[in-house]
Amino acid sequence: MPGQTFAAFGYPPKSRTVGRRCKLALRAQTCIDLFPHCTAFLRRSRQPRHPLAPPDAGTCDDTGVNALSLPPMSSLIQVLSSGVAIGCVYGLVALSFVLIYKATEAVSFMQGELLMLGAFAAVALSFGLDWPLWLAALSAVGLLGLLGAGLERLVLRRAIGQPHLVAVLLTFGLGLMMRGAVTSVPAASHDMYRLPFADRVLEIGALALSLSHLLVIVATVLLAVLLTAFFRLTRAGLALRACSEDARMAALMGVPVASMHTLAWALGAALAAFAGMLLAPITFVHLNMGLIALKAFPAAVLGGMSSLPGALLAGIFLGVAEALAGYLLPEGFKDVVPYALLMLALLLFPAGMSGRAQVRR
Amino acid sequence: MMRLRGVVVATLVLLGAMLAFGADHALGQATLVATYAIAGLGLAVIVGQAGQIVLGQGALVAVGAYVEALLAQRGVPPFISIVFAMMAGCLAGACASLPARRLGGLYFGMSTLAFAMIVEEVLTRWESLTRGGAGLSVPALGWAGMEAVTPLAQFLISAAALVLALVLCRRLCAGRIGRAWRAVREDEVAAAEACGIDLARAKLAAFAVGGALAGLAGALYAHWIGFISPEQFGLFFSFELLMLVFIGGARHLRGAVLGALVIVSLPQFITLLRDVLPGDWGRSAGVESVLFGLVIVLVVLLRPQGIAAKGRAG
Repeated sequence: MPGQTFAAFGYPPKSRTVGRRCKLALRAQTCIDLFPHCTAFLRRSRQPRHPLAPPDAGTCDDTGVNALSLPPMSSLIQVLSSGVAIGCVYGLVALSFVLIYKATEAVSFMQGELLMLGAFAAVALSFGLDWPLWLAALSAVGLLGLLGAGLERLVLRRAIGQPHLVAVLLTFGLGLMMRGAVTSVPAASHDMYRLPFADRVLEIGALALSLSHLLVIVATVLLAVLLTAFFRLTRAGLALRACSEDARMAALMGVPVASMHTLAWALGAALAAFAGMLLAPITFVHLNMGLIALKAFPAAVLGGMSSLPGALLAGIFLGVAEALAGYLLPEGFKDVVPYALLMLALLLFPAGMSGRAQVRR
Repeated sequence: MMRLRGVVVATLVLLGAMLAFGADHALGQATLVATYAIAGLGLAVIVGQAGQIVLGQGALVAVGAYVEALLAQRGVPPFISIVFAMMAGCLAGACASLPARRLGGLYFGMSTLAFAMIVEEVLTRWESLTRGGAGLSVPALGWAGMEAVTPLAQFLISAAALVLALVLCRRLCAGRIGRAWRAVREDEVAAAEACGIDLARAKLAAFAVGGALAGLAGALYAHWIGFISPEQFGLFFSFELLMLVFIGGARHLRGAVLGALVIVSLPQFITLLRDVLPGDWGRSAGVESVLFGLVIVLVVLLRPQGIAAKGRAG
């Protein structure tokens, strides 16, 4: 019966043999294809303004003073750095989503809520119990990992082998419960909090970079290195990889598949919570910060749904594209950009962006 | 026989609700149930019959609602405006189904999510037409001096529309296109390659029907509520519709009606339950979402085939 229900929703089990290098190269090529367009656009829009009117001459009556009063190059760098920083958060959430999807075939719609819960846990530990900030953040990530493992044991385990819709609805329901639970704490729903990680501004000449953006980027790189080491060098990481390549074969090789599923959910929840820690200095800690996960889905799909580095890179790409769109295009286009890019990519390169998509001619 | 029993049960439920909550309130809720059921029926065709994952059905309902609201404000008679709303929903559904020509499964589900996000953003930002987040007020459904303002009239119109939609869907599902949908659901490759079914056409047809029903539901909903804004049709609404189909049992068309009954009455029960809960905790806003989420989780865990699957298969 499980086989039949799979087929019912249009998922024959995936074939697992695709050259990963080849896929990455393709993806990089798409990025390059898309970027010259952006930069050409950039040049076109800047050229008339720059030589004629020096930005600080006060001739233009624009209200967007902040962006215009800087030389274009450094403001561009600032836009890029904030884009990369927010893209890192998208990428991390997409990474957690893909990690879970690869290992358990479950689509998690609660990563945003896990992110929000993680940030609130850090706030509670740091302001409520007066723990030092780093300890509070680490414990929050650990706690969320435990929560993920517990939820897998109790609930999510039942979704294995069922159609995707089951996991979608289960995680949506769980996310709703988490959100409701945080809402019913009065202190959480009334105020916005800020985790004072790094709220200073780094000034290099005319360039003013927010230290929090740099912190986010550095932390993401560190985490990526750590994760790579985990997946390459440790026994558990190897087992998890084997399990997500082919669960039945892994089971035959003696990998405890059930506990690997628990591990995947724990890692996924902890990663989402970590993304919450990184998002906290950029935005505030508030109830709707989980909505960021809605932009991580396009990143996960653009990255191919089956590649961890792909998800991270696609997240950063979307963050940069969004920041550039906010800088160049009129108000309102910024929020549509990730979805428009996703639709375009799905329509134009159903095979190119994601080698394993079930392509129909 | 079956149909007769359904009608009798529905009438009894309605009469019981009228006794318990008062006639106007019960009829208002029944109107809402019928309207939700129409939208759910559209989704049941796409999800249950054609087997595609849709995460953004709310956007199709929104398109219907906005078209109807804009036309009704300009005095277009409802016979014409509702047809236009259905056509707009149909067209939007066809647009949303474009990626399905080449993608299957989850990738396609994600593209419908992206589609819904784009529609919501357009409705929010196109302020000269939709007045953005401030929303539109919709005049009552009426033509030539007659207006459907009483709960009874609204209920009768919705119920008639629901019955028509049910009959139409049954006819479609029993026919050639219905068999094609079920073949696509069971196995896309075998359906296309062995039986000569045009996959793209079958999916497009499912989305056209689903979109038209969503447009109809949106048009009626806009009239009954009297005020529409983009956030009413957001992701939560899409998931509510998915829940509705899932609770009712995706494979059964009548499941949409049962699911709509559960989804509409659930908030009422939760409100009742909240009064019973001790202390201040029950009064906070979050409890509703906790209970709603709990119901979703429990239903999915305990009755994965839906309510309608319990009886005879049909």
